[in-house]
Amino acid sequence: MFTPNIWVLRGIIAIFLISVVAASAGSFSIFQKSTFFVSGIAHGSLAGAALGIYISLYFFPINPFIMAMMFSVLFAVAIGIASHRKENIEVAIGIMFSFSMSLAILFLAMIKEYASVAWGLIIGDLLLLSSQDVIWMLITVALILLIFFTFRRKILFSIFDPEVAMVQGINPYLYETLLFILIALGVVVLLKGVGAILVYALLIVPAATAKRIAGSFEGTIIYSFFISLISGLGGIFLSLFTSVVPSAYAGLIATFIYFLSLFKK
Amino acid sequence: MKEKIEVRGLEVRYDGYVALKNINFKIPHPSFLVIMGPNGAGKTTLLKALLGLIPYQGKIEILGKKPKEAREFIGYMPQRDKINTNIPLKVRDVLLMPLLSKRSFGIRKKDIKRAKEALKFVGLQHLWDKDFLSLSGGQQQRVFFARTLAMEPKVIILDEPFSAMDVATKMKVVQFLHRLKNSKTIILVTHDINPLAECTDNVLLLNRVVIAFGRVVDVIKEENIKNLYGAPIPIVKTENVCYLVGSDAHVHT
Repeated sequence: MFTPNIWVLRGIIAIFLISVVAASAGSFSIFQKSTFFVSGIAHGSLAGAALGIYISLYFFPINPFIMAMMFSVLFAVAIGIASHRKENIEVAIGIMFSFSMSLAILFLAMIKEYASVAWGLIIGDLLLLSSQDVIWMLITVALILLIFFTFRRKILFSIFDPEVAMVQGINPYLYETLLFILIALGVVVLLKGVGAILVYALLIVPAATAKRIAGSFEGTIIYSFFISLISGLGGIFLSLFTSVVPSAYAGLIATFIYFLSLFKK
Repeated sequence: MKEKIEVRGLEVRYDGYVALKNINFKIPHPSFLVIMGPNGAGKTTLLKALLGLIPYQGKIEILGKKPKEAREFIGYMPQRDKINTNIPLKVRDVLLMPLLSKRSFGIRKKDIKRAKEALKFVGLQHLWDKDFLSLSGGQQQRVFFARTLAMEPKVIILDEPFSAMDVATKMKVVQFLHRLKNSKTIILVTHDINPLAECTDNVLLLNRVVIAFGRVVDVIKEENIKNLYGAPIPIVKTENVCYLVGSDAHVHT
């Protein structure tokens, strides 16, 4: 009989947490049409994590996860401010994308003797998570859920009808920025597990598929959770028999489900 | 005039460009004001100033309060193209959104009752559980109108509510407005005054400055309309009402 070891158990817990992020932050990314934002933030958090590793190696110990979180939240706020100042949001994200990617390459080059660590940030590995990684993911997801459940109605109002929201005393720019922070935190959760490149696959693709299948607000959130969960668990299962990281399979499964959803009338 | 809406010496500038200059008018509460003007005349800008959404110079007083303070009793219905159509909401979600945004958790029974009553008022109670995006443009406008009413405002501000509405829907909404005008102040921007000609108390002709303001019969005159649009538009006069010919496909005669 197959007995899951501690690494597999951690991977399964991580997939559950990632699915919670896909349902909350991922769905709202789709509603807000800010999918490009996810890619931009993923690279911002990659730069932060790489800097964290560099500082840990040569100066003092610091958790790269915290640096990734700081960078991504900082970039999210910067994009929110740029959007508030009437800059085209796609342009603002593009500028932060190129800036963060340049920083990421710079920092990764500085830790080139630890190339495997850098490679881990880019493609991740759900089956190599430490207990500390899982605890950090758990804390971050708890924070995401706190923000989500407390402010979801104001965020929804702000992105659906900002003018009327403003008349009702809600500052739509503030809540849009809060949504960006929510997504940024979600990206950091996924970074460690699936890597910067495949963040998009498990944050956006399940939510995009869910929106097509469910056709309702609540339905999108629920379906998004299960599509992400199935993709992630499938990825872990397949990777047990090969030397390929689970995120690659998970991304393929999520995309395959999306293509299937295209046949739904 | 005990309760009133008053605008005095209003001026709005965008990056040095004067969008509105020396706007003055006063209307009682409750009453019905229609604002008309060509594209780029500053109609939406005037509404935004009344709502306190943009900076302005001059004085605006809405039932004794400044615009930002008055928001608690104002219902606003913007142009339909301003909404995000990427969110798969039900009609009930749209109706309840402003009411639910006041609290983080739970739904109050009285909020649901208010929303349902407002939807019934516009004759769409059967659409409560329908997908909002599957509705026609006219139905969506009526849902937004119901949402505005569900907030139980004293003052209703509507920005081109008739866009995307067919003639029948437009006349229905006019009937709703007619039923409300004795209890609420309605300020409505439109290109087409004809359906409203019989229920409007005052008309403001606007083209960055006030071209004319007053009762329909006093304002809808060929010289004013020519000043407003820069071209003459024929006017048909009946016993009490004036209609613009050619401003809309369905002309009252």
